[in-house]
Amino acid sequence: MTIISAPAGSGKTSLLRTWADRPDRPYQLAMMQVQRDQQDAQQFWLTLLSAIRHACATTSHAESPTPTPGFNGPAMVGRVLSELAGHRGRVMLVIDDLHALNCPDALAQLTRLLTNLPGGVHAVLATRRDLQLRLPQLRLEGELAEIRAADLRFTERETRELLDASGITLSEAGAALLHQRTEGWAAGLRLAAISLSDHPDPERFVAEFSGSNRTVAEYLLAEMLERQPDHVKDLLLRTSLLDRVNGELADLLTGRPGSERILLELEDANAFVVSLDPERTWFRYHHLFADLLRLELRRTLAEEAPALHLRAAGWFTRQGQFVDAIRHTQAAGDWPGAARLLADHSFSMSLDGQTQTIEALLQAFPPGSEHPELALVHATVDLVQGRLDEAAARLAVAETYAEAAPPDRQHRLQVTVASLRLSLARRRGYFASVLDQVKFLELPVSGQSDEDIALGSDLRAAALMNLGIVEAWSLGLPDAERHLQEGADLARRIGRPYLEVACLAQLGFASKIRPFATTRRRCREAIALADRHSWGEEPIVAPALVALAANLIWTGEFDEGERSLQRTERALQTDTGPDIRLLVHIASGMLHASRGRHREALDEFTAAEELRSQLEGSHALASQVTGWMLATRARIGLPGEARATLAALDGERAGSGEIGNARAVICLAEGDPAAALDAAAAVLDGTAPVIGYVTVVETHLLAGLAHRELGDQRAASQAAERALGLAEPDRLVMPFVMTGSRELLEALPRHETAHAALLTDILDVMHGSSLAAQGQQPPPQTEELSPSELRVLRYLPTNLSRPEIASELSVSVNTVNTHVRNIYAKLQASDRSSAVQRARELRLLSAGLTR
Amino acid sequence: MGPATVRYAIRIHGHLGATVLTAFPALVPQHYGADTVLTALLDRSALYGVLAEVEALGLDLVEVRQLTSPGESSESGDSRSP
Repeated sequence: MTIISAPAGSGKTSLLRTWADRPDRPYQLAMMQVQRDQQDAQQFWLTLLSAIRHACATTSHAESPTPTPGFNGPAMVGRVLSELAGHRGRVMLVIDDLHALNCPDALAQLTRLLTNLPGGVHAVLATRRDLQLRLPQLRLEGELAEIRAADLRFTERETRELLDASGITLSEAGAALLHQRTEGWAAGLRLAAISLSDHPDPERFVAEFSGSNRTVAEYLLAEMLERQPDHVKDLLLRTSLLDRVNGELADLLTGRPGSERILLELEDANAFVVSLDPERTWFRYHHLFADLLRLELRRTLAEEAPALHLRAAGWFTRQGQFVDAIRHTQAAGDWPGAARLLADHSFSMSLDGQTQTIEALLQAFPPGSEHPELALVHATVDLVQGRLDEAAARLAVAETYAEAAPPDRQHRLQVTVASLRLSLARRRGYFASVLDQVKFLELPVSGQSDEDIALGSDLRAAALMNLGIVEAWSLGLPDAERHLQEGADLARRIGRPYLEVACLAQLGFASKIRPFATTRRRCREAIALADRHSWGEEPIVAPALVALAANLIWTGEFDEGERSLQRTERALQTDTGPDIRLLVHIASGMLHASRGRHREALDEFTAAEELRSQLEGSHALASQVTGWMLATRARIGLPGEARATLAALDGERAGSGEIGNARAVICLAEGDPAAALDAAAAVLDGTAPVIGYVTVVETHLLAGLAHRELGDQRAASQAAERALGLAEPDRLVMPFVMTGSRELLEALPRHETAHAALLTDILDVMHGSSLAAQGQQPPPQTEELSPSELRVLRYLPTNLSRPEIASELSVSVNTVNTHVRNIYAKLQASDRSSAVQRARELRLLSAGLTR
Repeated sequence: MGPATVRYAIRIHGHLGATVLTAFPALVPQHYGADTVLTALLDRSALYGVLAEVEALGLDLVEVRQLTSPGESSESGDSRSP
């Protein structure tokens, strides 16, 4: 690593630029300059990531980095590191003006990055002052090089070289004098060179300069300015209050056309003007130069400065660059105007991940000033940062203000308040209070200006998302799907990928009433989109991850379900609501139960029950959670406790199908199959309300188990068959595993079932589960079977003959024979039973489930 | 720690002209030889604000001194204390 630490004007940036511009570099160069007074860590990191991506010419499928409302520093560092690690070849990482990074978190994160750089990456940092980067290890290992002010100073000989290169003729004595006066300070020498380059009497200039006591920069700047034509001087002064300038903006501030040409000429003359883009449309002045110009502006044109700031603010507003607009409005001293702009745009800015910038803008307001609109801004920041109670309080203030606001602002303020309220309610799980906020969504997106429409669209997309989430959780599922889909479509149209992913992830979650395959597809789409934006570990994709996990577990793909669950755990953070955590517990419980780990399952279901009781309003899966908790308690040998809890349930809940199932399990555990049948009867005759048909699958199985206990094998088999029938369309596996119905299924005569394939799958999973439990690793695959071959394979374990298999699959016997021959060859089996054995070991039988 | 605001004398090498002085409106400039001394009653935050501005303008900082009594001179090497 190299650190260049030297004061302003020492030539750090020039050094870096010259060095970077050399041809034939044996490395990729990722270079960035920290923006002045950068308080937003996320902006810093995204700029760095972009620079690295650009340098490494990453051709990954990832989208360009988009900011997110909340910022995860450690995750970002990880992203940058993996981006660097993925590049073969050397990389130079250059960060200029690091002292401008006014964000303590970012420095800590940067330290972490620097201490973990992959080999082949060399970092160069340029700063005006020594920074608290704790890198003692690097120093000790001699891996840290430093370039300091003394190294950057021009020697007398170098001064002469500079003069020669600029075509300036000066005597030896004159050059020595110049060197002495400037003390070899780069900025001083450059400024002097500009003035000297077409000066009629260079010797006299140097003599006068040398004889003056004025500070170098001030003297030379004054000299340089004096030698500029008036309109150029005017341009420089007036545009000095901008962080960056383009021709149009400069024309606006000077009131004269032709600024672009002047700026280009200044850059060509090497006069401290630097272009920021390859097209040379945007320019920046060297910071020192700009600061001095700004002071000169203050001294000579002070009364015009506020008007200039306002003109600039107007231009930025029209360009939709609201942060700059607000900054200039504040600089002009128009605090009410700044407050209005901030209140109008803070929501969109928060979606752009500029929360820290918003905070900085808030802090710039003079203390004690009264701007009730800012309550809305504070509330937005509080929400993003998880301070829900504060957000609620501020929203109340904002709401009161909005009611009394002038009519042209009232609509916008009220819409923003309503949208924030929705977000707050969703985060807190206060679902009931949310639905009356929805009124404004019924109005079409209208507005006078493009700005209004843009803001309205942002609010609308976010509101649709929040509304959809709330509806999904309170079982208003058709509405939920409609709103979430609408939200996703709108988000895509207005270019808000973050909201789009959020809506799609929730849509995957809300697809419970759909066929399992649809849910799976939707979840996978949401996750894929999130991955493309590198949000695969962010909280917003957690709903899709956990819904996918549950889906996979239901259909018996326990390993993949477990992986999805683990990903969910990683994506969960403190701001994730209780609703997601609830489903994680449920899914974990299902997984444990399916693997026979009933105690762990009970822990999970109990935790889920805890969370459910904390949620306001009824929850879609309430009775499922309670039911499984009771059933699992009974299964580990505590039926008495379970019964006691059962007795304490209120009438409505106690009458649901899921609780009916639990009652049946308890009865079976207590050795009373007849009572279990009674409990099951209420569900089977349709009088007990159920969440979905999956409950009824379980009921049939429990009834079957009860019949077996009572010795009625025929009834048991019929019940099993009914369960299989219900489970067939979605190919459910888990209820069979959870209820421990293995013997029930094995006793089912093969020729009496219409669902031989599913039956085989289930038994294979049950068998495979115990394989995994014993820690056996399946042997490696030989050659892949085609989908048609897989279809035939699944009938091999049954007692069906080849003609019977052919008729099941609606193909000819010859086709079946061909497939079987190939299967034997690929599995290296000589007969049907060894083929089946091999297939089981290779987990092929369960691999053919619905995709 | 002493009182909240203290009189400070900040010595810069070179004479500060009108332009640069607009960056230090709260400070009183005086020329001492080839240096400029800026004096004012400042609290800590204000002091560091001034120093930050000195850094930003690339000025040559020679000395920062706390003056304990109103009459104390700010010429380096010249001690009037008994």
